[in-house]
Amino acid sequence: MLSAAALCPAPPLLARELTGAAAVLPELRQACRDAADALVQASPDVVAVVGVAAETRTWDASARLDLSAYAPGIRAGATGSSQASGTAAGPGSSLPLPLGLGCRLLDEAGYDGSLDLQSVSESTTATECAALGARLAAAARRVGLLIMADGSARRSRRAPGYLDARSGTFDAEVGRAIRTGDMAALLALDPALARDLLATGRPAWQVLAGAMDGSRPDSVIRYEDDPFGVAYLVASMTVS
Amino acid sequence: MSESAPRQQDQPRTHGVLRLGKHAFPPGQPLIMAIVNRTPDSFFQPGMTWEEPAALERVHQVIAEGADIIDVGGIPAAPGSEVDVAEEIRRTAGFIAAIRSSYPDVVISVDTWRHETGRAACESGADLLNDSWGGSDERLAEVAAEFGAGLVCAHVGRQRPRTRPFRVAYADVMADVLAQTLRLTSRALAAGVQPDHIVLDPAHDFGKNTWHSLEVTRRLGELTETGWPVLVSLSNKDFVGETLNLPPEQRLPGTLAATAVCAWHGARIFRVHQVRESRQVVDMVAAIRGDRPPARAVRGLA
Repeated sequence: MLSAAALCPAPPLLARELTGAAAVLPELRQACRDAADALVQASPDVVAVVGVAAETRTWDASARLDLSAYAPGIRAGATGSSQASGTAAGPGSSLPLPLGLGCRLLDEAGYDGSLDLQSVSESTTATECAALGARLAAAARRVGLLIMADGSARRSRRAPGYLDARSGTFDAEVGRAIRTGDMAALLALDPALARDLLATGRPAWQVLAGAMDGSRPDSVIRYEDDPFGVAYLVASMTVS
Repeated sequence: MSESAPRQQDQPRTHGVLRLGKHAFPPGQPLIMAIVNRTPDSFFQPGMTWEEPAALERVHQVIAEGADIIDVGGIPAAPGSEVDVAEEIRRTAGFIAAIRSSYPDVVISVDTWRHETGRAACESGADLLNDSWGGSDERLAEVAAEFGAGLVCAHVGRQRPRTRPFRVAYADVMADVLAQTLRLTSRALAAGVQPDHIVLDPAHDFGKNTWHSLEVTRRLGELTETGWPVLVSLSNKDFVGETLNLPPEQRLPGTLAATAVCAWHGARIFRVHQVRESRQVVDMVAAIRGDRPPARAVRGLA
Protein backbone atom coordinates (compact mmCIF):
# COMPACT_ATOMS: atom_id res chain seq x y z
CA MET A 1 0.00 0.00 0.00
CA LEU A 2 0.95 3.60 -0.39
CA SER A 3 3.09 5.00 2.40
CA ALA A 4 4.31 8.30 0.97
CA ALA A 5 4.02 10.43 -2.13
CA ALA A 6 5.84 13.35 -3.63
CA LEU A 7 4.45 15.77 -6.20
CA CYS A 8 6.70 17.71 -8.51
CA PRO A 9 6.16 19.59 -11.75
CA ALA A 10 7.98 18.40 -14.86
CA PRO A 11 9.05 21.42 -16.91
CA PRO A 12 12.20 20.96 -18.99
CA LEU A 13 13.81 23.78 -17.01
CA LEU A 14 13.83 21.51 -13.98
CA ALA A 15 16.94 20.05 -15.63
CA ARG A 16 19.58 22.52 -14.50
CA GLU A 17 21.66 22.28 -17.65
CA LEU A 18 18.79 23.37 -19.90
CA THR A 19 18.66 26.92 -18.54
CA GLY A 20 22.24 27.70 -19.53
CA ALA A 21 24.58 29.63 -17.29
CA ALA A 22 21.81 30.96 -15.05
CA ALA A 23 20.31 28.77 -12.37
CA VAL A 24 16.71 29.66 -13.17
CA LEU A 25 14.32 28.87 -10.29
CA PRO A 26 16.81 27.24 -7.94
CA GLU A 27 14.12 27.40 -5.25
CA LEU A 28 11.85 25.20 -7.37
CA ARG A 29 14.61 22.64 -7.85
CA GLN A 30 15.39 22.72 -4.15
CA ALA A 31 11.73 22.12 -3.29
CA CYS A 32 11.70 19.14 -5.65
CA ARG A 33 14.89 17.77 -4.11
CA ASP A 34 13.38 18.14 -0.65
CA ALA A 35 10.24 16.31 -1.77
CA ALA A 36 12.29 13.50 -3.28
CA ASP A 37 14.43 13.28 -0.13
CA ALA A 38 11.33 13.00 2.05
CA LEU A 39 9.96 10.28 -0.20
CA VAL A 40 13.17 8.26 -0.05
CA GLN A 41 13.40 8.72 3.72
CA ALA A 42 10.00 7.00 4.03
CA SER A 43 11.92 3.81 3.13
CA PRO A 44 9.65 2.56 0.37
CA ASP A 45 10.05 -0.99 -0.95
CA VAL A 46 9.40 0.38 -4.41
CA VAL A 47 8.94 3.84 -5.88
CA ALA A 48 6.44 4.29 -8.68
CA VAL A 49 7.14 7.30 -10.87
CA VAL A 50 4.11 8.58 -12.75
CA GLY A 51 4.13 11.14 -15.52
CA VAL A 52 1.97 12.17 -18.43
CA ALA A 53 3.17 11.14 -21.89
CA ALA A 54 1.82 10.15 -25.28
CA GLU A 55 0.79 6.66 -24.22
CA THR A 56 -0.09 4.74 -21.09
CA ARG A 57 2.58 2.14 -20.49
CA THR A 58 5.37 1.01 -18.22
CA TRP A 59 9.00 1.76 -18.92
CA ASP A 60 12.12 -0.22 -18.25
CA ALA A 61 14.07 1.16 -15.31
CA SER A 62 17.26 1.13 -17.41
CA ALA A 63 15.80 3.78 -19.73
CA ARG A 64 17.19 7.22 -19.02
CA LEU A 65 16.46 10.90 -19.26
CA ASP A 66 17.39 12.23 -22.68
CA LEU A 67 17.42 15.98 -23.00
CA SER A 68 18.64 16.12 -26.59
CA ALA A 69 15.14 16.72 -27.92
CA TYR A 70 15.02 19.90 -25.85
CA ALA A 71 18.60 20.97 -26.27
CA PRO A 72 20.25 19.61 -29.40
CA GLY A 73 23.96 20.20 -29.28
CA ILE A 74 24.08 20.61 -25.51
CA ARG A 75 27.39 19.46 -24.13
CA ALA A 76 27.93 17.81 -20.82
CA GLY A 77 29.70 20.32 -18.65
CA ALA A 78 28.87 23.25 -20.93
CA THR A 79 27.10 24.91 -18.03
CA GLY A 80 30.14 24.38 -15.87
CA SER A 81 28.51 21.57 -13.93
CA SER A 82 29.52 17.99 -14.23
CA GLN A 83 27.23 15.66 -16.05
CA ALA A 84 24.27 15.07 -13.82
CA SER A 85 23.20 11.61 -12.88
CA GLY A 86 20.39 10.10 -14.84
CA THR A 87 21.46 11.77 -18.06
CA ALA A 88 23.71 9.13 -19.51
CA ALA A 89 22.50 7.52 -22.66
CA GLY A 90 21.91 4.02 -21.39
CA PRO A 91 21.36 0.87 -23.36
CA GLY A 92 17.60 1.25 -23.01
CA SER A 93 15.34 3.74 -24.70
CA SER A 94 14.94 7.28 -23.49
CA LEU A 95 12.17 8.09 -21.05
CA PRO A 96 9.38 10.60 -21.46
CA LEU A 97 10.55 13.84 -19.85
CA PRO A 98 8.41 13.66 -16.66
CA LEU A 99 9.63 10.15 -15.90
CA GLY A 100 13.22 11.03 -16.72
CA LEU A 101 13.13 14.08 -14.49
CA GLY A 102 11.53 12.01 -11.75
CA CYS A 103 14.26 9.36 -12.01
CA ARG A 104 16.89 12.05 -11.81
CA LEU A 105 15.32 13.44 -8.62
CA LEU A 106 15.37 9.96 -7.11
CA ASP A 107 18.98 9.44 -8.18
CA GLU A 108 19.96 12.72 -6.59
CA ALA A 109 18.13 11.70 -3.41
CA GLY A 110 20.32 8.61 -3.31
CA TYR A 111 17.53 6.16 -4.07
CA ASP A 112 18.78 2.91 -5.53
CA GLY A 113 15.82 0.62 -4.89
CA SER A 114 13.13 -0.76 -7.16
CA LEU A 115 11.33 1.47 -9.63
CA ASP A 116 8.00 1.24 -11.42
CA LEU A 117 8.01 3.74 -14.25
CA GLN A 118 4.51 4.47 -15.47
CA SER A 119 3.42 6.92 -18.11
CA VAL A 120 -0.21 7.83 -18.48
CA SER A 121 -1.76 9.41 -21.53
CA GLU A 122 -3.77 12.58 -21.58
CA SER A 123 -6.83 10.70 -22.84
CA THR A 124 -6.98 8.36 -19.84
CA THR A 125 -10.26 8.72 -17.93
CA ALA A 126 -10.44 9.44 -14.22
CA THR A 127 -11.70 5.90 -13.59
CA GLU A 128 -8.84 4.37 -15.53
CA CYS A 129 -6.33 6.61 -13.72
CA ALA A 130 -7.74 5.62 -10.34
CA ALA A 131 -7.51 1.92 -11.22
CA LEU A 132 -3.93 2.41 -12.35
CA GLY A 133 -3.10 4.13 -9.07
CA ALA A 134 -4.66 1.33 -7.04
CA ARG A 135 -2.58 -1.21 -8.99
CA LEU A 136 0.66 0.70 -8.41
CA ALA A 137 -0.09 1.03 -4.68
CA ALA A 138 -0.65 -2.70 -4.42
CA ALA A 139 2.79 -3.55 -5.77
CA ALA A 140 4.49 -3.79 -2.35
CA ARG A 141 3.94 -3.40 1.35
CA ARG A 142 5.42 0.10 1.31
CA VAL A 143 4.99 1.92 -1.98
CA GLY A 144 6.33 5.40 -2.59
CA LEU A 145 4.78 7.45 -5.36
CA LEU A 146 6.47 10.24 -7.26
CA ILE A 147 3.89 12.17 -9.26
CA MET A 148 5.29 14.45 -11.95
CA ALA A 149 2.46 16.78 -12.87
CA ASP A 150 1.95 20.37 -13.98
CA GLY A 151 -0.92 22.78 -13.54
CA SER A 152 -2.27 25.15 -16.13
CA ALA A 153 0.11 26.74 -18.65
CA ARG A 154 -2.40 29.55 -19.20
CA ARG A 155 -1.88 31.53 -16.02
CA SER A 156 -0.96 34.90 -17.52
CA ARG A 157 -0.73 36.84 -20.76
CA ARG A 158 2.94 35.87 -20.95
CA ALA A 159 2.20 32.22 -20.27
CA PRO A 160 2.98 29.63 -22.95
CA GLY A 161 -0.77 29.21 -23.59
CA TYR A 162 -1.69 32.86 -22.99
CA LEU A 163 -4.19 33.77 -20.27
CA ASP A 164 -7.28 31.74 -19.63
CA ALA A 165 -9.13 33.31 -16.73
CA ARG A 166 -10.39 29.89 -15.61
CA SER A 167 -6.89 28.71 -14.82
CA GLY A 168 -6.75 30.46 -11.44
CA THR A 169 -9.81 28.64 -10.11
CA PHE A 170 -8.69 25.32 -11.56
CA ASP A 171 -5.19 25.40 -10.06
CA ALA A 172 -6.46 26.74 -6.75
CA GLU A 173 -8.77 23.74 -6.54
CA VAL A 174 -5.92 21.35 -7.25
CA GLY A 175 -3.80 23.08 -4.61
CA ARG A 176 -6.62 22.90 -2.08
CA ALA A 177 -7.20 19.22 -2.81
CA ILE A 178 -3.51 18.40 -2.34
CA ARG A 179 -3.19 20.56 0.76
CA THR A 180 -6.23 19.05 2.47
CA GLY A 181 -5.84 15.52 1.16
CA ASP A 182 -9.15 15.75 -0.68
CA MET A 183 -8.56 13.00 -3.20
CA ALA A 184 -12.17 12.96 -4.33
CA ALA A 185 -11.71 16.49 -5.60
CA LEU A 186 -8.77 15.34 -7.75
CA LEU A 187 -10.87 12.53 -9.22
CA ALA A 188 -13.56 15.09 -10.02
CA LEU A 189 -11.28 17.27 -12.16
CA ASP A 190 -12.80 17.80 -15.60
CA PRO A 191 -10.49 16.33 -18.27
CA ALA A 192 -11.89 18.63 -20.97
CA LEU A 193 -11.32 21.73 -18.88
CA ALA A 194 -7.83 20.54 -17.95
CA ARG A 195 -7.07 20.07 -21.65
CA ASP A 196 -8.35 23.56 -22.45
CA LEU A 197 -6.18 25.01 -19.71
CA LEU A 198 -3.06 23.07 -20.77
CA ALA A 199 -3.06 21.56 -17.29
CA THR A 200 -1.19 18.48 -18.37
CA GLY A 201 -0.93 16.93 -14.92
CA ARG A 202 -4.60 15.93 -14.62
CA PRO A 203 -4.21 12.17 -15.28
CA ALA A 204 -1.20 11.92 -12.93
CA TRP A 205 -3.09 13.59 -10.08
CA GLN A 206 -5.92 11.14 -10.60
CA VAL A 207 -3.48 8.23 -10.45
CA LEU A 208 -2.40 9.65 -7.08
CA ALA A 209 -6.00 9.81 -5.91
CA GLY A 210 -6.54 6.18 -6.90
CA ALA A 211 -3.38 5.11 -5.11
CA MET A 212 -4.61 6.73 -1.89
CA ASP A 213 -7.51 4.27 -1.89
CA GLY A 214 -9.79 6.40 0.26
CA SER A 215 -7.22 7.37 2.88
CA ARG A 216 -6.70 11.03 3.68
CA PRO A 217 -3.02 11.89 3.52
CA ASP A 218 -1.17 14.59 5.44
CA SER A 219 0.39 17.09 3.08
CA VAL A 220 3.18 19.64 3.12
CA ILE A 221 3.22 22.17 0.31
CA ARG A 222 6.82 23.00 -0.60
CA TYR A 223 6.31 25.26 -3.60
CA GLU A 224 3.24 26.75 -5.26
CA ASP A 225 3.77 29.45 -7.86
CA ASP A 226 3.60 30.23 -11.56
CA PRO A 227 6.71 32.29 -12.34
CA PHE A 228 6.48 31.67 -16.09
CA GLY A 229 2.73 31.38 -16.37
CA VAL A 230 2.69 27.63 -15.68
CA ALA A 231 1.39 26.47 -12.30
CA TYR A 232 4.02 24.49 -10.41
CA LEU A 233 3.15 22.60 -7.26
CA VAL A 234 5.59 20.70 -5.08
CA ALA A 235 4.24 18.71 -2.17
CA SER A 236 4.99 15.81 0.11
CA MET A 237 2.25 13.50 1.35
CA THR A 238 2.30 10.80 3.97
CA VAL A 239 -0.28 8.16 4.69
CA SER A 240 -0.62 7.12 8.31
CA MET B 1 57.27 32.84 -52.01
CA SER B 2 55.84 29.90 -50.10
CA GLU B 3 57.96 28.34 -47.43
CA SER B 4 57.64 24.70 -46.56
CA ALA B 5 56.46 23.89 -43.06
CA PRO B 6 58.85 21.94 -40.88
CA ARG B 7 57.91 18.30 -40.90
CA GLN B 8 57.29 17.95 -37.18
CA GLN B 9 54.46 20.44 -37.50
CA ASP B 10 52.57 18.53 -40.16
CA GLN B 11 50.48 16.65 -37.63
CA PRO B 12 47.79 18.83 -36.06
CA ARG B 13 48.01 19.35 -32.33
CA THR B 14 45.14 18.51 -30.09
CA HIS B 15 43.27 21.67 -29.20
CA GLY B 16 44.41 22.32 -25.68
CA VAL B 17 44.54 24.89 -22.94
CA LEU B 18 46.33 28.16 -23.55
CA ARG B 19 48.31 29.31 -20.54
CA LEU B 20 48.75 33.04 -20.15
CA GLY B 21 49.79 34.55 -16.86
CA LYS B 22 47.79 32.96 -14.06
CA HIS B 23 45.20 31.59 -16.45
CA ALA B 24 44.64 28.33 -18.29
CA PHE B 25 42.10 29.07 -20.99
CA PRO B 26 40.34 26.02 -22.43
CA PRO B 27 39.46 25.66 -26.11
CA GLY B 28 36.00 26.99 -26.75
CA GLN B 29 36.40 30.01 -24.51
CA PRO B 30 36.80 33.04 -26.79
CA LEU B 31 39.08 35.73 -25.41
CA ILE B 32 38.84 39.44 -26.07
CA MET B 33 42.14 41.28 -26.30
CA ALA B 34 41.55 45.01 -25.90
CA ILE B 35 43.88 47.38 -27.74
CA VAL B 36 45.34 50.15 -25.62
CA ASN B 37 47.74 52.20 -27.72
CA ARG B 38 50.29 54.42 -26.04
CA THR B 39 50.79 56.30 -29.27
CA PRO B 40 49.80 59.72 -30.55
CA ASP B 41 49.32 58.52 -34.10
CA SER B 42 47.57 55.13 -34.45
CA PHE B 43 45.05 54.85 -37.28
CA PHE B 44 41.95 54.37 -35.14
CA GLN B 45 41.02 57.19 -32.78
CA PRO B 46 44.59 58.53 -32.88
CA GLY B 47 46.00 59.74 -29.61
CA MET B 48 42.97 58.67 -27.61
CA THR B 49 45.05 56.87 -24.99
CA TRP B 50 48.35 58.69 -25.52
CA GLU B 51 48.17 60.27 -22.08
CA GLU B 52 48.55 57.74 -19.26
CA PRO B 53 45.44 58.77 -17.28
CA ALA B 54 43.29 58.30 -20.39
CA ALA B 55 44.97 54.97 -21.09
CA LEU B 56 44.34 53.73 -17.54
CA GLU B 57 40.75 54.89 -17.77
CA ARG B 58 40.40 52.83 -20.94
CA VAL B 59 41.86 49.80 -19.15
CA HIS B 60 39.23 50.11 -16.43
CA GLN B 61 36.54 50.45 -19.06
CA VAL B 62 37.56 47.52 -21.26
CA ILE B 63 37.91 45.21 -18.28
CA ALA B 64 34.44 46.22 -17.16
CA GLU B 65 33.23 45.48 -20.69
CA GLY B 66 34.61 41.96 -20.65
CA ALA B 67 38.18 42.13 -21.95
CA ASP B 68 40.37 39.17 -21.00
CA ILE B 69 43.65 40.55 -22.27
CA ILE B 70 45.03 44.10 -22.40
CA ASP B 71 47.33 44.65 -25.38
CA VAL B 72 49.64 47.60 -24.88
CA GLY B 73 51.38 49.04 -27.91
CA GLY B 74 53.84 51.87 -28.18
CA ILE B 75 54.35 52.01 -31.94
CA PRO B 76 51.75 52.29 -34.68
CA ALA B 77 51.82 49.65 -37.38
CA ALA B 78 51.96 52.20 -40.15
CA PRO B 79 55.19 53.90 -41.15
CA GLY B 80 55.83 57.28 -39.59
CA SER B 81 58.07 59.06 -37.18
CA GLU B 82 60.72 56.82 -35.68
CA VAL B 83 60.11 55.39 -32.22
CA ASP B 84 63.37 54.01 -30.85
CA VAL B 85 63.68 51.27 -28.25
CA ALA B 86 64.08 53.66 -25.34
CA GLU B 87 61.01 55.61 -26.33
CA GLU B 88 58.98 52.46 -26.93
CA ILE B 89 59.90 51.17 -23.47
CA ARG B 90 59.15 54.57 -21.98
CA ARG B 91 55.67 54.42 -23.50
CA THR B 92 54.84 50.87 -22.49
CA ALA B 93 56.75 49.40 -19.53
CA GLY B 94 55.68 51.80 -16.79
CA PHE B 95 52.13 51.67 -18.03
CA ILE B 96 52.16 47.86 -17.93
CA ALA B 97 53.39 48.03 -14.34
CA ALA B 98 50.53 50.39 -13.52
CA ILE B 99 47.98 48.01 -15.02
CA ARG B 100 49.54 45.11 -13.15
CA SER B 101 49.33 46.90 -9.82
CA SER B 102 45.61 47.60 -10.38
CA TYR B 103 44.79 44.18 -11.85
CA PRO B 104 46.98 41.39 -10.45
CA ASP B 105 45.27 38.71 -12.56
CA VAL B 106 44.42 40.26 -15.93
CA VAL B 107 46.48 39.03 -18.87
CA ILE B 108 48.71 41.80 -20.18
CA SER B 109 50.18 41.70 -23.64
CA VAL B 110 52.73 43.95 -25.25
CA ASP B 111 52.53 44.67 -28.95
CA THR B 112 56.17 44.81 -30.05
CA TRP B 113 58.65 43.15 -32.33
CA ARG B 114 61.71 44.16 -30.31
CA HIS B 115 63.20 41.86 -27.71
CA GLU B 116 64.40 44.78 -25.57
CA THR B 117 60.87 46.06 -25.27
CA GLY B 118 59.57 42.55 -24.68
CA ARG B 119 62.03 42.09 -21.83
CA ALA B 120 61.11 45.42 -20.21
CA ALA B 121 57.43 44.56 -20.57
CA CYS B 122 57.86 41.14 -18.97
CA GLU B 123 59.82 42.68 -16.12
CA SER B 124 56.87 45.03 -15.63
CA GLY B 125 54.37 42.19 -15.54
CA ALA B 126 53.42 41.37 -19.14
CA ASP B 127 52.29 37.80 -19.84
CA LEU B 128 52.20 37.75 -23.63
CA LEU B 129 54.47 39.06 -26.37
CA ASN B 130 52.31 40.04 -29.31
CA ASP B 131 54.91 39.92 -32.04
CA SER B 132 52.73 41.24 -34.81
CA TRP B 133 55.68 41.67 -37.20
CA GLY B 134 56.26 37.97 -37.64
CA GLY B 135 59.50 37.20 -35.85
CA SER B 136 61.51 40.09 -37.22
CA ASP B 137 63.64 40.01 -34.06
CA GLU B 138 64.61 36.40 -33.39
CA ARG B 139 65.54 37.13 -29.79
CA LEU B 140 61.94 37.94 -28.84
CA ALA B 141 61.19 34.22 -28.57
CA GLU B 142 64.11 33.87 -26.17
CA VAL B 143 62.58 36.54 -23.95
CA ALA B 144 59.24 34.72 -24.01
CA ALA B 145 61.00 31.51 -23.00
CA GLU B 146 63.01 33.20 -20.26
CA PHE B 147 59.95 34.77 -18.63
CA GLY B 148 57.48 31.97 -19.32
CA ALA B 149 55.46 34.41 -21.39
CA GLY B 150 53.18 33.65 -24.30
CA LEU B 151 54.26 34.41 -27.85
CA VAL B 152 52.20 35.33 -30.90
CA CYS B 153 53.57 33.89 -34.13
CA ALA B 154 52.25 36.10 -36.90
CA HIS B 155 52.31 35.92 -40.67
CA VAL B 156 53.56 39.06 -42.39
CA GLY B 157 54.90 37.61 -45.62
CA ARG B 158 58.11 39.47 -46.33
CA GLN B 159 57.18 42.73 -44.66
CA ARG B 160 59.64 44.44 -42.39
CA PRO B 161 58.23 46.20 -39.32
CA ARG B 162 56.17 49.31 -40.05
CA THR B 163 56.08 48.80 -43.80
CA ARG B 164 53.07 48.70 -46.07
CA PRO B 165 52.45 45.94 -48.58
CA PHE B 166 53.60 46.90 -52.05
CA ARG B 167 52.22 44.71 -54.83
CA VAL B 168 52.42 41.60 -52.66
CA ALA B 169 51.50 38.36 -54.38
CA TYR B 170 51.15 34.80 -53.17
CA ALA B 171 50.64 31.61 -55.12
CA ASP B 172 48.43 30.61 -52.17
CA VAL B 173 48.24 33.10 -49.34
CA MET B 174 46.75 30.64 -46.87
CA ALA B 175 49.51 28.13 -47.54
CA ASP B 176 52.02 30.89 -46.88
CA VAL B 177 50.26 31.83 -43.64
CA LEU B 178 50.40 28.23 -42.50
CA ALA B 179 54.03 27.77 -43.48
CA GLN B 180 55.30 30.97 -41.93
CA THR B 181 53.37 30.75 -38.67
CA LEU B 182 54.33 27.12 -38.19
CA ARG B 183 57.96 27.91 -38.96
CA LEU B 184 57.86 30.63 -36.29
CA THR B 185 56.25 28.14 -33.95
CA SER B 186 59.11 25.71 -34.45
CA ARG B 187 61.57 28.50 -33.81
CA ALA B 188 59.73 29.45 -30.62
CA LEU B 189 59.74 25.87 -29.40
CA ALA B 190 63.44 25.60 -30.17
CA ALA B 191 64.01 28.78 -28.17
CA GLY B 192 62.30 27.15 -25.21
CA VAL B 193 58.79 28.63 -25.35
CA GLN B 194 56.30 26.18 -23.87
CA PRO B 195 53.83 24.76 -26.42
CA ASP B 196 50.81 25.89 -24.40
CA HIS B 197 52.11 29.48 -24.52
CA ILE B 198 52.06 29.79 -28.32
CA VAL B 199 49.43 31.56 -30.42
CA LEU B 200 49.18 31.88 -34.22
CA ASP B 201 48.04 35.08 -35.96
CA PRO B 202 47.38 35.26 -39.71
CA ALA B 203 47.78 39.05 -39.35
CA HIS B 204 45.12 40.54 -41.56
CA ASP B 205 46.37 43.48 -43.65
CA PHE B 206 50.02 42.78 -42.70
CA GLY B 207 51.79 41.89 -45.93
CA LYS B 208 48.38 41.42 -47.51
CA ASN B 209 46.04 43.30 -49.76
CA THR B 210 42.30 43.24 -49.13
CA TRP B 211 41.82 40.17 -51.34
CA HIS B 212 44.42 38.32 -49.31
CA SER B 213 42.81 39.26 -45.99
CA LEU B 214 39.39 38.19 -47.22
CA GLU B 215 40.85 34.85 -48.33
CA VAL B 216 42.53 34.36 -44.98
CA THR B 217 39.22 35.06 -43.25
CA ARG B 218 37.39 32.67 -45.57
CA ARG B 219 39.92 29.91 -44.98
CA LEU B 220 40.78 30.57 -41.33
CA GLY B 221 39.67 27.05 -40.49
CA GLU B 222 42.86 25.76 -42.09
CA LEU B 223 44.83 27.63 -39.45
CA THR B 224 42.66 26.64 -36.48
CA GLU B 225 42.81 23.02 -37.66
CA THR B 226 46.50 22.99 -36.81
CA GLY B 227 45.39 22.83 -33.19
CA TRP B 228 47.35 25.92 -32.19
CA PRO B 229 45.28 28.72 -30.64
CA VAL B 230 44.59 31.40 -33.25
CA LEU B 231 44.46 35.14 -32.65
CA VAL B 232 42.80 37.43 -35.17
CA SER B 233 43.30 41.16 -35.34
CA LEU B 234 40.55 42.51 -37.56
CA SER B 235 39.47 45.61 -35.78
CA ASN B 236 38.55 48.47 -38.14
CA LYS B 237 41.33 47.45 -40.51
CA ASP B 238 41.73 48.54 -44.12
CA PHE B 239 40.45 45.26 -45.54
CA VAL B 240 37.15 46.04 -43.84
CA GLY B 241 37.28 49.65 -44.98
CA GLU B 242 38.08 48.77 -48.58
CA THR B 243 35.48 46.03 -48.68
CA LEU B 244 32.73 48.36 -47.53
CA ASN B 245 34.25 51.63 -48.74
CA LEU B 246 34.12 53.15 -45.28
CA PRO B 247 36.53 55.22 -43.16
CA PRO B 248 37.93 53.81 -39.90
CA GLU B 249 35.25 55.26 -37.65
CA GLN B 250 32.51 53.48 -39.63
CA ARG B 251 34.02 50.00 -39.77
CA LEU B 252 32.47 48.39 -36.70
CA PRO B 253 29.72 46.38 -38.45
CA GLY B 254 32.20 45.05 -41.01
CA THR B 255 34.67 44.27 -38.24
CA LEU B 256 32.00 42.36 -36.33
CA ALA B 257 31.01 40.39 -39.43
CA ALA B 258 34.61 39.28 -39.92
CA THR B 259 34.84 38.59 -36.19
CA ALA B 260 31.83 36.29 -36.37
CA VAL B 261 33.28 34.36 -39.30
CA CYS B 262 36.64 33.91 -37.56
CA ALA B 263 34.91 32.89 -34.34
CA TRP B 264 32.89 30.32 -36.28
CA HIS B 265 36.15 28.99 -37.73
CA GLY B 266 37.51 28.54 -34.21
CA ALA B 267 39.70 31.58 -33.56
CA ARG B 268 40.27 31.95 -29.82
CA ILE B 269 41.64 35.47 -29.32
CA PHE B 270 40.14 38.62 -30.85
CA ARG B 271 42.21 41.79 -30.74
CA VAL B 272 39.73 44.65 -30.78
CA HIS B 273 39.04 48.30 -30.21
CA GLN B 274 35.34 47.92 -29.38
CA VAL B 275 35.20 45.43 -26.53
CA ARG B 276 31.52 45.42 -25.63
CA GLU B 277 30.30 44.73 -29.16
CA SER B 278 33.03 42.19 -29.88
CA ARG B 279 32.34 40.34 -26.62
CA GLN B 280 28.70 39.96 -27.63
CA VAL B 281 29.62 38.68 -31.08
CA VAL B 282 32.15 36.09 -29.95
CA ASP B 283 29.93 34.90 -27.10
CA MET B 284 27.01 34.55 -29.49
CA VAL B 285 29.10 32.58 -31.98
CA ALA B 286 30.48 30.41 -29.18
CA ALA B 287 26.91 29.51 -28.24
CA ILE B 288 26.04 28.76 -31.88
CA ARG B 289 29.10 26.52 -32.04
CA GLY B 290 27.94 24.82 -28.86
CA ASP B 291 31.02 25.90 -26.93
CA ARG B 292 29.11 28.09 -24.52
CA PRO B 293 25.64 27.71 -23.01
CA PRO B 294 23.09 30.50 -23.31
CA ALA B 295 23.23 32.93 -20.40
CA ARG B 296 19.66 32.13 -19.46
CA ALA B 297 17.31 29.88 -21.40
CA VAL B 298 13.64 29.73 -20.41
CA ARG B 299 11.72 30.13 -23.66
CA GLY B 300 9.65 27.02 -24.30
CA LEU B 301 11.15 25.27 -21.29
CA ALA B 302 8.62 26.30 -18.63
